[in-house]
Amino acid sequence: MAITMPASDQAVLARRAEIVAALRAIVPGEGVIDSAAEMRAYESDGLTAYRQPPMVVVLPDTTEQVSLVLKYCAAQGIKVVPRGSGTSLSGGALPLEDGVLLGLGKFKRIREIDFDNRVVVTEPGVTNLAISQAVAHAGFYYAPDPSSQIACSIGGNVAENSGGVHCLKYGMTTNNVLGCEIVLMSGEILRIGGKGCENSGYDLMGIITGSEGLLGVITEITVRILQKPETARALMVGFAEVEAAGECVARIIGAGIIPGGMEMMDKPAIHAAEAFVHAGYPLDVDALLIIELDGPKIEVDELITRVEAIANACGSTTCQISTSEAERNLFWAGRKAAFPAVGRISPDYLCMDGTIPRGALPKALARIRELSEKYQLGCANVFHAGDGNLHPLILYDANKPGEIERAEAFGADILRACVEFGGVLTGEHGVGIEKRDLMPEMFTEIDLNQQQRLKCAFDAQGLLNPGKVFPTLHRCAELGRMHVHAGKVAFPDIPRF
Amino acid sequence: MIFAGNFATAFPVDTLKVRDAKDVEEVVRAAIANEQPLEIIGHGSKRSIGHAMATNAVLDVSALNAVTSYEPNELIITLQAGAPLADVLSLIDAKNQQFAFEPMNTAPLLGTPALGTIGGMIACGLAGPRRIKAGGARDHLLGAHAVSGFGDSFKTGGKVVKNVTGYDLCKLLAGSWGTLSVMTEVTLKVMPKPEAERTLLLRGLDDAVANRAMTAALGSPYDVSAAAHLPYQAFRARTEGLGDIAGQGEGVTALRLEGITASASHRAGSLRELLAPFGTAAVIEDDASSALWAAIRDVLPFAADGALGAWPVWRIVCPPASGAALGAQLARETGGDVIYDWGGGLIWAALPPTSDAHAPSVRQRAAAFGGHATLIRATEDVRRGVEVFHPQASGIAALSERVRAGFDPKSILNRGRLTRGATA
Repeated sequence: MAITMPASDQAVLARRAEIVAALRAIVPGEGVIDSAAEMRAYESDGLTAYRQPPMVVVLPDTTEQVSLVLKYCAAQGIKVVPRGSGTSLSGGALPLEDGVLLGLGKFKRIREIDFDNRVVVTEPGVTNLAISQAVAHAGFYYAPDPSSQIACSIGGNVAENSGGVHCLKYGMTTNNVLGCEIVLMSGEILRIGGKGCENSGYDLMGIITGSEGLLGVITEITVRILQKPETARALMVGFAEVEAAGECVARIIGAGIIPGGMEMMDKPAIHAAEAFVHAGYPLDVDALLIIELDGPKIEVDELITRVEAIANACGSTTCQISTSEAERNLFWAGRKAAFPAVGRISPDYLCMDGTIPRGALPKALARIRELSEKYQLGCANVFHAGDGNLHPLILYDANKPGEIERAEAFGADILRACVEFGGVLTGEHGVGIEKRDLMPEMFTEIDLNQQQRLKCAFDAQGLLNPGKVFPTLHRCAELGRMHVHAGKVAFPDIPRF
Repeated sequence: MIFAGNFATAFPVDTLKVRDAKDVEEVVRAAIANEQPLEIIGHGSKRSIGHAMATNAVLDVSALNAVTSYEPNELIITLQAGAPLADVLSLIDAKNQQFAFEPMNTAPLLGTPALGTIGGMIACGLAGPRRIKAGGARDHLLGAHAVSGFGDSFKTGGKVVKNVTGYDLCKLLAGSWGTLSVMTEVTLKVMPKPEAERTLLLRGLDDAVANRAMTAALGSPYDVSAAAHLPYQAFRARTEGLGDIAGQGEGVTALRLEGITASASHRAGSLRELLAPFGTAAVIEDDASSALWAAIRDVLPFAADGALGAWPVWRIVCPPASGAALGAQLARETGGDVIYDWGGGLIWAALPPTSDAHAPSVRQRAAAFGGHATLIRATEDVRRGVEVFHPQASGIAALSERVRAGFDPKSILNRGRLTRGATA
């Protein structure tokens, strides 16, 4: 593999038996796993191209145990990789050979449902969907809906700042969490925020969200819940050209309409999805938009009419409007099954995750077509069109020599193009190990050093999830050094008043 | 040589008006070399919030006032940090867009003339009534270029709405009161303005009942975008700007619905039915509605030119359903006035002047309800004696200090603004 992980500490590996025993003293019974066979379940996450069994797995079930495990590891200089459900698509939970894998799977309890304050207080191992299910009887739900929501944990959602189809209108995880209990690498337990709208002081919750398990281990989360919209309807609109579909997206937004979801698929993705789920997708179009409007019925009906008019004006060639829940779900079935559908037409695929300004869509897709020619690999595109988040699926066969390397190079070029077009390397999957070495495409060394200084404030030893996010890990002492710029003792020649 | 000799006494305040990010870097580097802290200002509209800063040098970013780019169809705008907020609001208003978090205009409350700059809006992070639905400044800041206390320009975030590339330092910059970095350019999310708005007004509810009505409304499927309660006492100080809702000798509970016209009207009708047990709601529309919410956003009842203009004002954030219990207790114990926004989750409290602005009792009560309190308006004398910002648990305070030092190890930027006695 092209990714280099931090060198294993042989002294730590040599003490494995002693470390396992010490962890067993903290987490008794089956909470410590050290057999090679049982640890295999943890050797990878959703980025399955990379595998590495951990030194040992520990599954605590109380905050105190998490604290003691981290305190022990900090004192002994042992690396720790936190893990939720292991659905990360960027390798955020890839274990280290000399590291403890700290699984939060036993933190499965919802601690409090508070309808009056419209919050749920939950343990991190609860799945995203389970939160919505727990409050559904009162008409509430938790808005961010990553496509893995049936399996992914809310703790992992916070670590990755997960998005989903509806985040254009309802925001990402960071816009929907209010507080947490977090254990630092030192073992210190901190409570941040609560049931109020805002925390006092620096927005630590904001920085923890999306920190990819490098700052601390979350043991409790307070999330905001919303009332479910009264109704939702979808339009499925086909276009002969990608440009026209892109224009349609821009005009909908320009008209002041923020759909609950607005998804685009290109021809290869449409064909793969239709072959898989038979949703009735038009096969003779180059781009398909699924636009969902949600809210009160009277509003949805009105907006459907407005969106249909915009689509017509943009030259849509087909337009279907859902008239029932069953039909709406059918429109979505193909999109939601796009990844497995592509999995059927290709032995392997890489799922990319760049974001571009919406207006750059046609040139981004043109570039992807060129790159597809260059690398001689197919590519199907699904796209959260409303917020510019592109998911090219690069098709390859791992059994053919050289193909995975070509696929990875293709993917890296797509992400470079996203940055070139004014976008970013990752919209919702995270940097992890997958995009780690591309970070300099977007950030200077000064930018990255500033981010790492934040890491130092939480974990000065750099023991928590090392090898992720940052291409080069600097020592904190080195980052804290102040370079005094000699000779510049006076303020420069600028206007004074 | 400006910085020769004893800075603290020998020279008057030196204001350095920077022209670009390079100037900011040079000023900060010179300040580091001289160990001379800087106060960072735009228009200075919120200078009276926080503690006096240990500095006699002012870094003025108001000349960094350009609109770098505005793309209405992308729903983003990129601005230099010193851009005047009033101009920016007109610019996006012309495209029928807005900052959805309704940034507060602190001028009436603080008795200052200016609305301030974009940088100030973000650094102070004071969001208005729609905070409960749309989030705060932190939720709308997509990217920033800034100069750290190392004297280095860095960028964070991007110019797209969906981005998880690297740590989201924007979240820290928003609400940092200029203590982490000097923002030079920012990219913000803009949102379409709603086509119509309707506000239901319930009259004569006491605080506790009003809180229950707001909770019922916010827990309904009608997508309430603002919920506030003005007890009748709050009108005694100043009724200007509140139109005819004041002066009827009754408290007013207000609930806002926004969207396309048909939807806002329809939901107003449904919500009116839902709230029937609390009384028969009157409905005001569009301009009358938006004027009321601007008055609530800017806390006009406690304005500096009103009868309570000399009273200290607290901003208390707490779990929304606890608002009335906390607010009513504070009002009763101190003889002060309160108004509630955010469905009870934000309490503005104007309390009779004392040497400590009732700080111990405000802090203790707020904390007991899971809230925190900031002393937004008080004389310099009072601020010398009490913490303006809510003191934090020791672990959080220590972590926050490590975070701050990671941006500004020599404490060059706005030294002492957040913590009393940290000015040495």
